[in-house]
Amino acid sequence: MTKTISRRDFLKLGSAAGITLAVGQMLSPKVAQAARDAGHLNAAGDGTIPSLCEMCVWRCGLLAKVQKGVVVKLDGNPDNPHSRGNLCPRGQSGLMNTYDPDRVLTPLIRVGQRGEGLFRKASWEEALDRVANGMLDIKQKYGPEAIVFSATHNLSQPLFENLLYGFGSPNYGTQRSLCFNAMIVANLMTYGTEEPARNYSKVKYIILTGRNLMEAISTSETHDLSQVIDEGVKVVYLDPRYTKTASKASEWLPIKPGTDMAFHLALLNIIIGEGLYDKSFVERYTVGFDILAQEVKKYSPDWAAQITGISIETITRIAHEFAAAGKYTLAHNGWRTSNFVNSFGTQRAITALNTIMGNWGTTLFPGSGEGAGLGAPLQPPYPRVSALRLDGVPWKYPFVPLKLGIFQELREGVVNGDPYQAHGWFISRQNPVMSIPDRGRTLQAFRKMDLITTIDIIPNDTAWFSDVVLPEASYLERFDPLNVVGDKAWLRQPVIEPQGEAKSALWIYKQLGERLGLGEYFQYTDEEDYLRQQLAPIGVSLDEVKKTGYAQLPVEPPNIYNWNTTTGKIELFSETLSKAGFEGVVKWEEPPVPAEGQFYLLTGKMAQNTQFGTQNNQLLHKYSDEPRLWMNAAVAAERGLKEGDWVEATSDVGRIHVMLHPTEAIRPDCVYMTPGYGHLSKALTTAYGIGACDSVLHKTFTDPISGSQALSQTFVMVQKA
Amino acid sequence: MTETIKHKAFIFDATRCIDCRACMVACSVENNIALNKTRIWLAGEGIMGIYPDLQRGTMVYHCMHCGHPDCLSACPVGAYTKRLDGPVEYDGDKCIGCRYCMNACPFGVPHFDYDKGIIEGAFIDKCSFCLQRVDNGLEPACVATCPTDALEYGERDELLAKAHARIAAHPERYINHVYGEFENGGTSYLILSHVPFNQLGLPTLPETPVNEVSEQVISLTLPAALGIGAVLTVTAVGVSLYNKNKEKASAQKEPEDVK
Repeated sequence: MTKTISRRDFLKLGSAAGITLAVGQMLSPKVAQAARDAGHLNAAGDGTIPSLCEMCVWRCGLLAKVQKGVVVKLDGNPDNPHSRGNLCPRGQSGLMNTYDPDRVLTPLIRVGQRGEGLFRKASWEEALDRVANGMLDIKQKYGPEAIVFSATHNLSQPLFENLLYGFGSPNYGTQRSLCFNAMIVANLMTYGTEEPARNYSKVKYIILTGRNLMEAISTSETHDLSQVIDEGVKVVYLDPRYTKTASKASEWLPIKPGTDMAFHLALLNIIIGEGLYDKSFVERYTVGFDILAQEVKKYSPDWAAQITGISIETITRIAHEFAAAGKYTLAHNGWRTSNFVNSFGTQRAITALNTIMGNWGTTLFPGSGEGAGLGAPLQPPYPRVSALRLDGVPWKYPFVPLKLGIFQELREGVVNGDPYQAHGWFISRQNPVMSIPDRGRTLQAFRKMDLITTIDIIPNDTAWFSDVVLPEASYLERFDPLNVVGDKAWLRQPVIEPQGEAKSALWIYKQLGERLGLGEYFQYTDEEDYLRQQLAPIGVSLDEVKKTGYAQLPVEPPNIYNWNTTTGKIELFSETLSKAGFEGVVKWEEPPVPAEGQFYLLTGKMAQNTQFGTQNNQLLHKYSDEPRLWMNAAVAAERGLKEGDWVEATSDVGRIHVMLHPTEAIRPDCVYMTPGYGHLSKALTTAYGIGACDSVLHKTFTDPISGSQALSQTFVMVQKA
Repeated sequence: MTETIKHKAFIFDATRCIDCRACMVACSVENNIALNKTRIWLAGEGIMGIYPDLQRGTMVYHCMHCGHPDCLSACPVGAYTKRLDGPVEYDGDKCIGCRYCMNACPFGVPHFDYDKGIIEGAFIDKCSFCLQRVDNGLEPACVATCPTDALEYGERDELLAKAHARIAAHPERYINHVYGEFENGGTSYLILSHVPFNQLGLPTLPETPVNEVSEQVISLTLPAALGIGAVLTVTAVGVSLYNKNKEKASAQKEPEDVK
């Protein structure tokens, strides 16, 4: 057994080597008593408590094994539809987030220069007063719109929004424009829903467009895909990189970046041209088919072959195979592998392909609604906001939902002071320094700020450049609002007492809200009171939910054939888009190509990390590959570059130094970097100094319809450092 | 040919493994393994072929829990036992740290713990079969969490039948062999693969275990091996040998955008 990769590679630990998991606190009376009352723990404080994972946004159900007040193991909850008894490596490592030796355990106030990392400990009282007074000062001088609020995809998001909209700022930053705006806006314009639910039980043929489900793990969906592959379902996978999903697919097509739309247009051309689509479904449930049919006549397989690099025969064969599978097909919405300003069009082409196969109601269903049947504390309406948003939504970008926004354009608005200058940034559980393209410019935006406040559990890069850092309780230490999945509302509950002085988001937002004069938006006495108010209409007690981990919700029979679009049908042609001056039907847009000597810069996901937030988790660090720049092996050899060589990658906006990994698993015209490395915060003692940051290189390109950042549209030069 | 033993086993299917390493993390947490050690390894050639004709061969493995364990045969003090239901158990109280088992194991599984002293007893670390879980009706931690069912656990006979059924159902997908059915007396870690087993890093072993006879001989020579020489060997081992520090790779140069 000579090829033991990890015996060599996994011994990556530095100063932290040898630390085991036996840290944490003794079981404190409050959490222990609640867990005993619910029957989870015995008199000695040992037992298992159901809760929800937060290592990504999939929110698997977990069972936390607790011994004397210490979490010693997390298992997947078999009852939860997102975990089905399994957890991915991130979920398994979750307790190391809670027990991270670098955790922020008290409020911190900056004492040195920004970015120096010098802070002093402060009491909650002092830190909250400091933040509230600073925000009120800015509001008085420049108006409430001078504060930017940003947070990402949390269960406590509604309370964060209360803070933002109650305060009166329109400036809301989420991460979504960096991730999936193109997909969501395309679905909204076609189906009137953000993301239809996928069902793999009847599927016979799948096309995955950059959907790397074997590395971007959503536990239950990854399991579904693995299961259907095992059963012999055909999976065609488009990606310039041979990912782990590519290795499991029936067929890998290393398509040229930015041309996924051309591939799908050719499929539409063949399937419509040869009359292989579901005519009765199209007639009954769609509008604009004739316009689509006319448009796609241009897109022959011959045309697409020249653009995509995939042969005419392959395109034609896949079109025929796909059509033969009828409504048992699934063209999966891509995610981000090949993200160009034409990605909205790619997504529209994918929705059109699904639609004409009539797979709605077989493999695609309306997405599940959020919070159906649950209550919420009373609150007054928000004040009217007259200021324009800095990200240009909706005044420059009319189709981008306010809840999504355009993060990179928000940053631009701050840097340019256009249409006004922002002076404060309030950030919860997010790392914009790392996530927004062109990191240098994000730091420039930070320099415009009088007050930067960050709420997080670890001293991430954004906290490193902040003025006040507020320590949040980890997901194993706090309650959050309920999470609705299908006909159940799932509970996140503390399985241990918070470390140090960490507090839940529900507590922090309420405390801050009261200091900002917004107390009436936070009408709950504590976290449990909030949950009781949520549960009141369905008549289930919180004690019961603590025991089982979920509350059953009243079941409403779904109305599958009802779309929330202007016409009430699936819109292959969108009058709304057309009236606004955009193409009403999907139409080819030529993506830019790298100049001679340049490479496409690709990013992607790995199974052992989530975005920019988990690289400091020692367990994930232990079992993840060292992040290096992938380059096609033949191309590297031509340039005399070897494994482990230091190279310099340069784009129009930045330069990094990174170690090279020559590999057969990538197109010769591309290089790839795993995002989330190259941290700036020296307080992240595990992650600091590992790898390089792709955001340094990324140029800012915004799709005018969806607001999506074109992450793959940055081209780089690579040379030996 | 050896008669297969009725016992519990793992089965690993390389066609289903996505190399996510959830099993490795789960094992580390469940068994409270130090952050610089592991009981599960990743092996195999990885990506094979020339772009764009590629395939991938990786596997995860831990102690194979052999039917005729070489570690047991080599151990001069009887620190290893083979439980009738499958697990090869290691008893740190008996171990003298001679490391013969490390040399004997054809899979390179037993690892020496240089951080532990003689007084603490346990020198060797390897998969324990998660007895604290399986004896309480739970699956081993690695199996329980696997998101793609690449790892499964159950009665060895049933898993073997399942393995052969999978090969029969998809002869185009699998190598027609269940690794571990007969190797080393029949292991309790069975492996199915789409690539030749040597590309997963597995040794080719004879079907008849070479130690079948020697086991009996060794058991008679135990007292002689308890000499002081073995103890001295242990204490002379350089503790710092495995104390590898992580390369703080790209910290050497400040990123451009910070200045």
